[in-house]
Amino acid sequence: MALDNPTADVLAAGAMAQAPAPVPVPRKRRLTPRQRARQVANYAVLTFFGLIFLYPFVIQISNTFKTEPDASNNPLRLIPDPFVTDSFVRIFKGTDFPLWVVNSVLVTVIATLGRIFFDSLAGYALARLRFGGRRAIFAAIIAVMAVPGVVLLIPKFLVLNQLGMYDSYSGLIIPLLADAAGVFIMKQFFESIPGSLEEAARIDGAGVFRTYWSVILPVARPALITLTILSFQGTWNEFPHTLVAVQSPELFTLPRGLADLVGGSLGAGSQYPLKLGAALLTLIPVTIIFIIFQRRFVRGAMEGAVKE
Amino acid sequence: MVLTPEAPPRQPVLDTVRPRRRRRRSGLNRPERIAGWLFVAPVIVLLTVFLLVPILMALWVSFTSWNGQGSPFRSGVPMSGAENYTRLFTQDGLTRQDFMTSIRNNLYYVLAVVPLQTVLALALALAVNQRLLKAKSFFRTAFYFPSITSSVAISVVFLFLFANSGAINGVLAWFGIDGPNWFSDPRGVLHIVLDTVGLVDITNPPAALADNELLGLSWWQWLSGPSVAMCSIICLVVWTTSGTFMLMFLAALQNIPVQLEEASLIDGATRWQYLRKVVLPMLKPTMFLVITLGLIGTWQVFDQVYVMSKGNPAKTTLTPAYLSFRTAFLELNFGSGAAIAFVLFSIIIGMTLLQRWVMRDRDDVRRPRWFRRARSV
Amino acid sequence: MRTSHRVMAAAFLATAMVASASACGSGFDDSPEQKSGPADLEILIGSSGQAETDAVQKAAAAWAAATGNTATVIPAQDLAQQLGQAFAGSNPPDVFYVDAGRFADYAKAGALLPYGNEIEDANDFYASLREAFTFDGQLYCIPKDFSTIAMQINTELWAQAGLTEDDVPTTWEELRSVAERLKAAGITPIVIGDTRDRIGAFMVQAGGWIVSKDGTKATGDSPENLQALEYVKGLLADGLAVYPRDIDTGWGGEAFGKQLAAITFEGNWIKGALQNDFPDVKYTVHEMPAGPKGKGTLSFTVCWGISAKTEYREQAIDFVRHMVSAEQQIAFTEAFGVMPSRSSLRDQYLDQFPNDEAFIAGAEYAQGPVKAPKMDSVLSDFDAGLQQLVSTDPKALLERLQDNTEAALAG
Repeated sequence: MALDNPTADVLAAGAMAQAPAPVPVPRKRRLTPRQRARQVANYAVLTFFGLIFLYPFVIQISNTFKTEPDASNNPLRLIPDPFVTDSFVRIFKGTDFPLWVVNSVLVTVIATLGRIFFDSLAGYALARLRFGGRRAIFAAIIAVMAVPGVVLLIPKFLVLNQLGMYDSYSGLIIPLLADAAGVFIMKQFFESIPGSLEEAARIDGAGVFRTYWSVILPVARPALITLTILSFQGTWNEFPHTLVAVQSPELFTLPRGLADLVGGSLGAGSQYPLKLGAALLTLIPVTIIFIIFQRRFVRGAMEGAVKE
Repeated sequence: MVLTPEAPPRQPVLDTVRPRRRRRRSGLNRPERIAGWLFVAPVIVLLTVFLLVPILMALWVSFTSWNGQGSPFRSGVPMSGAENYTRLFTQDGLTRQDFMTSIRNNLYYVLAVVPLQTVLALALALAVNQRLLKAKSFFRTAFYFPSITSSVAISVVFLFLFANSGAINGVLAWFGIDGPNWFSDPRGVLHIVLDTVGLVDITNPPAALADNELLGLSWWQWLSGPSVAMCSIICLVVWTTSGTFMLMFLAALQNIPVQLEEASLIDGATRWQYLRKVVLPMLKPTMFLVITLGLIGTWQVFDQVYVMSKGNPAKTTLTPAYLSFRTAFLELNFGSGAAIAFVLFSIIIGMTLLQRWVMRDRDDVRRPRWFRRARSV
Repeated sequence: MRTSHRVMAAAFLATAMVASASACGSGFDDSPEQKSGPADLEILIGSSGQAETDAVQKAAAAWAAATGNTATVIPAQDLAQQLGQAFAGSNPPDVFYVDAGRFADYAKAGALLPYGNEIEDANDFYASLREAFTFDGQLYCIPKDFSTIAMQINTELWAQAGLTEDDVPTTWEELRSVAERLKAAGITPIVIGDTRDRIGAFMVQAGGWIVSKDGTKATGDSPENLQALEYVKGLLADGLAVYPRDIDTGWGGEAFGKQLAAITFEGNWIKGALQNDFPDVKYTVHEMPAGPKGKGTLSFTVCWGISAKTEYREQAIDFVRHMVSAEQQIAFTEAFGVMPSRSSLRDQYLDQFPNDEAFIAGAEYAQGPVKAPKMDSVLSDFDAGLQQLVSTDPKALLERLQDNTEAALAG
């Protein structure tokens, strides 16, 4: 999602940040029957939708452990009968899944590191350093954020082709090393840091980069963490780019491999437990990051909420 | 009172407000200037090479009929002028038909997804925002979770759920409904409704509609509504994106002071009236934001089509983004594919500009920052 | 902002653009330099399954060992798409499968090396197959094997409906009545693929086809084709035939293997699939029922294409020679059930696989794929129409096919 619509995600992150604790209400107040009924109805609605939003994952998990006929015939049954782990055996032995994981990890780690480094550098420069053309560049970055990813499918292929980077790790990773939304977030954050830090460093005789590296960056931890999380999620889930950047199976990342598993010749027949299992494994890393860093995500994103 | 989900009030830090000062072109600023350029250089290079240049190259290719062999920039590449574009709009033929079909499909998709996700997001936000709610963050997380997942993985899950003998049809069976063959049913929803009501016969559409054409598709085809297969993708997308927009509504709702609610209740308004007359107007900016972001996002649907249906059945899930991809890489017609991409680009830019314009009305840009900040406390 | 800064900004951007643009138009050498010495061949195949992949890899390894080269076989997930991307990229595979249906597009685009005249015994291959891979008078590539569509019958379900060997249908009317008896017994009679690659067989049986014999005229809108489509539509509408997707399967072979239908129309590839995935199914193979104009079926063939851009021309041709040698063809036949493209192997094949008589018999009257460039979108549009055959007017569908074909052939 992040690369589909970066503004939406950044906004959402900022919005999540805006949720302070509700105004405390004296608990002792009794609810009227009408209010109680409303509350019950509210819980009912929430539970209903909670189920809708979470149940597909429950179904996915339970069907991963079923045999194929069982999954085809009893998709709704929660308890597999029999309970087998065939799908995982086949994922690891019969497909290139381990290769996809390695590639995904490689791409995600390098791209995330790249983004942390380059985006914060650029964000800082745009926020704090005085140099000509600064505003034009920032306007260009905002404009670029509006370019939809899918439109770039053919164009990016052309560029990669011309540069000789097609179907290689460099073609897969280099275009992901920086993104406009990340620069935006970092710039917003840096603008909110008091200038006194820099003045102090400047007085001490530190150069620009030194100031940045040793003084400013440590203070930027919350924003950097947000950037890390968004970048991780965005590059781990990235699919269209991998479609046009590579074609050799050795360079497939998880989403690409999964898509081919489902749509290509390996997808003959239903093989649902296999596919669901592979999808499940793909979902796990981002889920873990999300659960752990929920609060960080929220708080750090405060600095980056977009003002439209 | 600031109502838009903008940056929360920051600490008033007067240091950051620099008094306007004439920039001195003295040597003292040199290292800063150099550093500034150096710092932004990597990002500029990357964005230029992989965002700006591709667009220019694609523009060039869209005026050729390059077939994918060799470089499109050497001499001798067959030029076709604006033909790739006219073939999409004015020339009667399969290209135009396919393109218009994809536009039609995406239009219905947009018309279905944007209202649905907006309403659902709003409803969920209202529900989560209740004062005495426990486990608020649990629900918030649960609703937001699908948004951060991989679209490919979710497509796989939904392929399973919407299979002919899958979970969805199983649930429908509890209610005695015989679920359709979701992915192989190409009938449009509007057609089905009209057919069920008895107004038309789906196998024998009225001649007035079927025989007259607009831009390559008959009126009957234009009025098909999303197909049953497309509906499954619509469900997927609404399910995935509502959480993101719910958060935006939540933020806006949090900005509404509790006293307003109490005051309105004291004044004798029912909750419903309070909702309609007080809350909704205050949510207008967020609503606009959500709708326009939705408009921008729905025109880009690609991943799900690629993984789940590849345009089938009967081209009813074909979208411009996927058509562009297919035309270029499967039919080796890069010129036409690039042209389709650019038309899509213009549509989306149009939506983006609309969004920027609509949202800009809220702000008075000229007022200085400190003034806005003071007001937002 | 000072003008000079603006100029600097513009200059910076321009430099970045020029730098990347300088990589463009760096010119493409149309005939690449040939490398001598040990070759490193990249071979892309569109495998029908693990059996084929293994067999091809084994053969490639044997060749590599014997000649001192290296050969890497890669099974494609989506051959057409990967080849499309590869041709646009500057490093396509050296050797690859070329489906007869896509051959004309690749040949016209200049992606293929016409090496047919370098193969000495080219005349040993069936004429109709060679014809499928001839463009502009040149034989571009050698067909590796071929398949035809035949009728498979599940003998157990057959017996359940009280049918016997004598009831095997040989005409359209018989097919319909047998289907009705199967339906009465509660068995789904026929599962047929929802594309022109299956339904087209009926068109051939009625005496029609999408293009004329020489491939230059559009013949989609003909009474013969109409008769065929109306017949199939009737079967579908009366519940005597279903599409694989309607019963939650990916193709006819899967539905047949899961014993969800008694009859299907598939090619030789179904043998391997059933053997691997559904070994318990008992079935027999027969020629497709004859239509008003007699027997008809479709044939599919794939050739070994060599990239026009390969740097190992001689080695690649030698590789292909090895792969289409008589011994290798028999080995492939045994491994994954395709029919050898050498006419000299016909009798040997029948001796080994007497059950495949129906398939080989089809070679006499089979119609090959449409061989004209730019027909791909026309044909997939036709497929889209066929997917809705039950609710579409066949005449309108054929008229549309005719119009589109004429446009494609002209342009």
